Amino acid sequence: MNHTAVMHGPAPAGHPAGADPETHPEASSAAPADGPAGPPDPARHLASPRLRSAMLVQQEALAAARDHLRGLGFVELLPPLLGPVTDPGGRGAKALDVDYYGRRYKLMTSAILYKQASLHGFPKLFYIAPNVRVEPPETAGTGRHLVEFHQIDVEIAGASREDAMEIAAGLLRHVVEHVVDRVPHELAALGRDPGFFSALRSAPFDRLPHAEAVARLWDDGRAQNPDAEIDWAGEEALSRAADRPFFITDYPKGSRGFYDREDPERPGSLRNFDLIAHGGFGELVSGSEREADYATIVTRMRESGENPAKYAWYLDAAREGLPRSAGFGMGLQRLVRFLTGLDALWQVTAYPKLPGVIAP
Amino acid sequence: MTAAHREGTGPGPLGAAGFPEDEVRARARAGTAAVFPPVDAYGNALFGAGSGTSGAYAPSADALDRARLVPPVFMPQRLEKLVELGREPVYDDVDLRTRVGGFASSLPLFLSAFGSTRAGSGDLALAASVQAGRLGIPMVLGENMVPVHGYATPADGTLPALTARIRAYADASDGTSGGVVVQQSTEDADAEVWNLLYSDPALRPLVDSGRLAFELKIGQGAKPGLGGMTVVDRDAADRLSDAFAVRDVFGASAPARLRCATPGTFTEEIVRQQVRFMRNNFPRARVWVKLPPGRDVALAARTAWRAGADAVTVDGAEGGTGWAPRAFLDQVGLPLAECLRRIGPPEGCLLVTGRFHEGGRTVRALALGARAAGLGRAALLAVDEDPEHGLVRLAESIALECRLLVSALGKYAPAALTAEDVWWPDGPAATAYAPATDTGTSSYASATDTGTSRFTPPTDTGTSPYASATDSAIPAGAAPGRPSLPQRVGGPA
Repeated sequence: MNHTAVMHGPAPAGHPAGADPETHPEASSAAPADGPAGPPDPARHLASPRLRSAMLVQQEALAAARDHLRGLGFVELLPPLLGPVTDPGGRGAKALDVDYYGRRYKLMTSAILYKQASLHGFPKLFYIAPNVRVEPPETAGTGRHLVEFHQIDVEIAGASREDAMEIAAGLLRHVVEHVVDRVPHELAALGRDPGFFSALRSAPFDRLPHAEAVARLWDDGRAQNPDAEIDWAGEEALSRAADRPFFITDYPKGSRGFYDREDPERPGSLRNFDLIAHGGFGELVSGSEREADYATIVTRMRESGENPAKYAWYLDAAREGLPRSAGFGMGLQRLVRFLTGLDALWQVTAYPKLPGVIAP
Repeated sequence: MTAAHREGTGPGPLGAAGFPEDEVRARARAGTAAVFPPVDAYGNALFGAGSGTSGAYAPSADALDRARLVPPVFMPQRLEKLVELGREPVYDDVDLRTRVGGFASSLPLFLSAFGSTRAGSGDLALAASVQAGRLGIPMVLGENMVPVHGYATPADGTLPALTARIRAYADASDGTSGGVVVQQSTEDADAEVWNLLYSDPALRPLVDSGRLAFELKIGQGAKPGLGGMTVVDRDAADRLSDAFAVRDVFGASAPARLRCATPGTFTEEIVRQQVRFMRNNFPRARVWVKLPPGRDVALAARTAWRAGADAVTVDGAEGGTGWAPRAFLDQVGLPLAECLRRIGPPEGCLLVTGRFHEGGRTVRALALGARAAGLGRAALLAVDEDPEHGLVRLAESIALECRLLVSALGKYAPAALTAEDVWWPDGPAATAYAPATDTGTSSYASATDTGTSRFTPPTDTGTSPYASATDSAIPAGAAPGRPSLPQRVGGPA
């Protein structure tokens, strides 16, 4: 199958017999009715040539990311897995509770709070962070959500949003160059044409303010809530229309976490960004300038319906003074899916857990 | 008490005629426990305005209970209906079906939240859920049910209260009418109740049929400015002390403790952003907002609607509760009529709660801008009377009264009702629409308030749109107070 032809959406069921055992309907388990066909049983999935190629691409992507960031002076830390609180996130995903010596702890949905708290000692840091988000079942059909996933999680003290955007773009370019250069045969085996990346390699990434993105979608007949995230279908449409990745900036307050800094010049608008891949692959990166002021953080917590009391350790750090910073998280599985051109995240994940599906 | 008193050798007990002596003596005996209704009534009694001072019910302080519906003689809308039907319209031509907070509803009624109190989360609440499902009216589930009762099904197979009520409602419903609305308090937010429900595959049918809503509870009528309160025993107090403030206001030796949820901090921007956050995070769920009868209720309602709330519920000060300090039951918050007056013609779907139990108050509230009225205490009393059919029969009786009253006004749908259908014995000065103000402080002058003037009806030139000038000749209080429900109900001790 030519995977470049179908970037996203429900995985096609009509593969030639024997050509692609992982998407055979009879091999699929517990897939939601309106979502892509799910993974086959773990043994068959883990033995498939396609997964092997994808993992070799992932290995090169990780090596390239580490090499690039270390070259820029970043230090890699290992992230925490549990905490009394975690990134409250958004879009209906739930953190997973863990009984921790009788207390309710959370598995990390992202380690953003720890990144900020680490900046005094590590002004340029990154994690390759495992995260868990119990996504709503409706995301099972996007091809872009897994309950367990990893992020290349970057934070930079003293940086502006634009600094973080530049580093995110440079990181993506470097990873693409490295993968195309080092494992072209794996990409070829997966049907990925390197020409897909030519505009990415040669032209700068555009910037599209959120309000403009919403207006563009409205003009295209796609209703969007101007106060919220762009919906999955809208984001995919924008992504399909592009020939290289681009940034969406200035998301409205109320769509993102309390740690994204509100623009002092434009109240209600956040100093943040997403990096959207072209070709229908959608968001690869979310990032922002961070809020560092204690009173503003507490107020923003209330605005996002959070209970400040449970963030005691983080607020103590904020009272003592968090460095100003900017940073981002690049979804590793999304990156690999983008590199390989496969249909769904489970195909680039050794041990996938689809939203709403009970899996081993 | 002095030593001489104790030995019975001193003078007789002190008297203070005309002073609330019994009240002071009760406080002297019971201390902080006297701030609350008797603790042994907890779980068996439902509280609200009138239950603060004594066991007997007090006349309602809400002008809505003194107002009257005033049918006209000439009825152009009846003529329209006559033409449409080709025969004289009758009361059962009134169509009570409506949209309530984004849901279809068979009646302009919904089941209000009961919360996590014992009266509100046991078998009665389950029976009410089943019957609300049968009726096809929305059901609101109160806050704090997950932190108190849990969510996941324990090993013994018993369903936690929230799950049991949702399942009972869904099983009894026709799958299209009504919907389930779940509140989330600060403590619920710690338990991520909304995320929990939204990501639960078992609730997908409700989400897919557009019949799940989340309600941001900003406050309630019975205790504006306070959070939820329940009485718990000591064991439960220990278990809950991580999530809630637990206080021994009933005395250190008493077996009971007061469990308090925080009321939460709200500003205009916090409400706006929380509503937006809900819409962002749960795009397929409806968003409801419940307001206490605060003096800035008009601004709060408008803020919620403009942020995209599908419904704003205003709980009048006469709203019921499982438990509240006595001072709050009778002395705090605006009566519902005043809330409606301050809000004026609503910008979005307005729902009302507090003391609704029959058709008259319901139709008056609908005429003053409400889309539907919530049944709280009335629903619990009804299922206590008959767990199988009590609420259905109560709702049917209210529906019949509504049809009779609406048709008598020459109208055939609740949406056709207007403020001129209501007459105020207290006179127009007290009942004119107050222009909403952006400052949150009370100001009835509207001349300079250009930002809000569009909420004042164009005919409002100083006289009340609710009543004609001649109405002011009628002395205040001329209409008798409406009969009230007894506050105590039977039930398991």
